[in-house]
Amino acid sequence: MLRFSSFFYKCRLSEDLCRLSILLDQSTDRNPPITSILIADTGIGCNLEEFQDLRCPREFSGAKIWDGLLSVKTTCITEDEVYYFHVNLDENISNKRLKRQPSQAKNGAKFSGTEVSLSVFGSTDVLMAPIIGFFQKMLVLQIPNVTMDLMVNQGASPATQTQYVFVVNSDKTSCFTASNLERLKSGLEDYVLRHENCLDMMCEHCFSDREHLKVGSGTACTEENRKRTGGKMEVVIVISDLLETTRQCSRSCDGKTEVLYFENFSPSPIPLVALIALKKIDWKSYGLILASVNDQDGHVFLEWENFPSHVQIQIALHWYHNQYPTRQKTQLGINLVKKGIKNALDDLKAKHEGFLLSSHARKICSYVPDLARSIAGLIFSSTDIDFQGDCLSVLGFQPQEVERDAVEDYIQRKIVTVIGMNERKPQKDQEAAPFLFFEGESKTSYFEDEEIDGEYFSTSLE
Amino acid sequence: MEGNFQISKTTNLLRRIKDFTRSILEDLAEGRSPIISINRFRNYCMNPEADCFCSSVEPKGQEILTLKKESQTYRIDMLLRVLLIVQQLVQENRHASKRDIYYMHPSAFKAQSVVDRAIGDICILFQCSRYNLNVVSVGNGLVMGWLKFRESGRKFDCLNSLNTAFPVPVLVEEVEDVVSLAEYILVVEKETVFQRLANDMFCKMNRCIVITGRGYPDVSTRRFLRLLMEKLQLPVHCLVDCDPYGFEILATYRFGSMQMAYDIESLRAPDMKWLGAFPSDSEIYSVPQQCLLPLTEEDKKRTEAMLLRCYLKREMPQWRLELETMLKRGVKFEIEALSVQSLSFLSEVYIPSKIRSEAISP
Ligand SMILES: [Zn+2]
Ligand SMILES: [Zn+2]
Ligand SMILES: [Zn+2]
Repeated sequence: MLRFSSFFYKCRLSEDLCRLSILLDQSTDRNPPITSILIADTGIGCNLEEFQDLRCPREFSGAKIWDGLLSVKTTCITEDEVYYFHVNLDENISNKRLKRQPSQAKNGAKFSGTEVSLSVFGSTDVLMAPIIGFFQKMLVLQIPNVTMDLMVNQGASPATQTQYVFVVNSDKTSCFTASNLERLKSGLEDYVLRHENCLDMMCEHCFSDREHLKVGSGTACTEENRKRTGGKMEVVIVISDLLETTRQCSRSCDGKTEVLYFENFSPSPIPLVALIALKKIDWKSYGLILASVNDQDGHVFLEWENFPSHVQIQIALHWYHNQYPTRQKTQLGINLVKKGIKNALDDLKAKHEGFLLSSHARKICSYVPDLARSIAGLIFSSTDIDFQGDCLSVLGFQPQEVERDAVEDYIQRKIVTVIGMNERKPQKDQEAAPFLFFEGESKTSYFEDEEIDGEYFSTSLE
Repeated sequence: MEGNFQISKTTNLLRRIKDFTRSILEDLAEGRSPIISINRFRNYCMNPEADCFCSSVEPKGQEILTLKKESQTYRIDMLLRVLLIVQQLVQENRHASKRDIYYMHPSAFKAQSVVDRAIGDICILFQCSRYNLNVVSVGNGLVMGWLKFRESGRKFDCLNSLNTAFPVPVLVEEVEDVVSLAEYILVVEKETVFQRLANDMFCKMNRCIVITGRGYPDVSTRRFLRLLMEKLQLPVHCLVDCDPYGFEILATYRFGSMQMAYDIESLRAPDMKWLGAFPSDSEIYSVPQQCLLPLTEEDKKRTEAMLLRCYLKREMPQWRLELETMLKRGVKFEIEALSVQSLSFLSEVYIPSKIRSEAISP
């Protein structure tokens, strides 16, 4: 398959900084318009068999290839010359498909890369969108050594030339040493902060810093004995609460959750197993009610019921595997995706107390302000100064500089943590009868003491 | 009660409240979910087998409150709210009624019973009586007769005006200097009967103290009765209607109530005698037929349930027999039905004769 991702793949494998460029050049005088495409990378280069075996329809990224001809130049770092050949996509016999052209000498220069050019029917406007979309998603993976750019010429004059550059956020030097999951995390954060990577910079209205984003990640692997069939699943979930920041942002927040899906370092349409897994997750135990899963040509959106309109959830799935799960492995795949997402949700829950709690836990949390106020009251209304100091130091405060509000706040957060914790690991004693009492209340008495007692009174108490 | 003892008890309670607060904070600081266990008490059961432990004052079980269930969280919330009020009351040595506490946060407490349960939970948790919390209830009860005492400085001189009703004191624990020349204490269910006895100058003719809870006796009335019994060591007689309601009142005085079972020892009147009215009284004193009302279905159900209470079987089988007789006859009557012949029948004939026969019987 002739795909952008195959170019990207060669770049990723290269240990040096690589550049992936695409040039779109539309000839103005044709109707229907024809655009020539030049894709160049400075990756590791490729071998010719790849093109020999290329059984691709005369189509590139949705556009019909005009003359069925690809012209390919490629070289590896160890080679002395740049190989040049034409590929005739209409030729069915594979050894006739490739026509060798004169090679170019490298004259001792050390470089590698591949350049492919072709012409397709269609205007640059139509062609641009999927390319930009691909690059925007690609950025989420934050592969640090690859920069991407797109040059669009809509005429001969330089004024009609537009360039789009897609660079991984360079201010994060850890990029090179970070794990794939860490990169996916910061990549998805950036994706949110830059409005699905539509902006070059972080939106200042949205979030002044990424601390306001709630991020959770999880991984899942198939068990050792099932040897790599399912592979490994990495999941990142970012939740942004636009109320926490500002409402000035132009971004419309429709409450839908976009699910970005990557397969072996490439954005892909979401596979069926992942779709099934998304539907099967027990969202309710995280306080979410899934209304529907919308699949628009592999772009998947989750819609929620009773969901606050100012909250946005983004999910990125990255599946590393050597082969697609076969039919009987489907359940394995579903479980893998489910487990990855669940781990990410649990991670979020653990990091942000009071977040993603089930409706049950949220009900319990509604008592938290009261509980905290009473507990803080028991401390601060005590006339025993030693006791007060004692309590504050238990909570880790310095008695001198303590404000009651801060203590109350702290107690609140601690209680919420405990409630979240209770929910995460349901203890065995939870369902044990809270009444170790015999047969319960025997309501044979005419009276409830307490209802009658003190019903009438006149306080003359000082 | 000695003043010093009171003070040490107060410090003790405050210390225990502080320990409790601290332990909750320690739990939270270390990420543990706080657990509050509240003992449960009962003063009777309805087990047909006699091998229950209801007669002991030990707890009969435990309730574990955690933040895992909403109902329990609500209960902890209410408990802490009331505890905060109690800590302040005790620190400042002020008193408040349950009603006062309710009106401090009526929207949060929603009902008086919520406050009452929280107070009960706190009493059990800190092993004390309600009055230790400085929570008092203004009694409904009335007292008259051969008695004189002081309640935190205020004088109650019933002796001076033998047939005048005095309110039962609010701060029963602060009652002191009790002086009495009475020979017995008479507890009557109803205020009407109490008034009848006052009008008949009953106390002038009989050396006794008369108390009424005006219906179902509240905590102060029961506590006051218990206090008089302890201080004066007098026999106590109880006069109630011959119906399930009257019997329930009798049993409450004698055995305490289930709700306050945790504090039973300070509220029950262990040696109280049942003076009447018995089912057989209707024949002995020829109560007219129109005054005998049939037991309703509800009455029968109540009576059957009361017959199962283990304390009756264990301690008062003869009371149980009377109750069974009432059920068998299927009729009930009020004390006043005895007075159809003469208004002063109760004070002149019925009560003195009953007291005399009680004194003769072992
Ligand atoms: Zn924005
Ligand atoms: Zn029993
Ligand atoms: Zn009150």
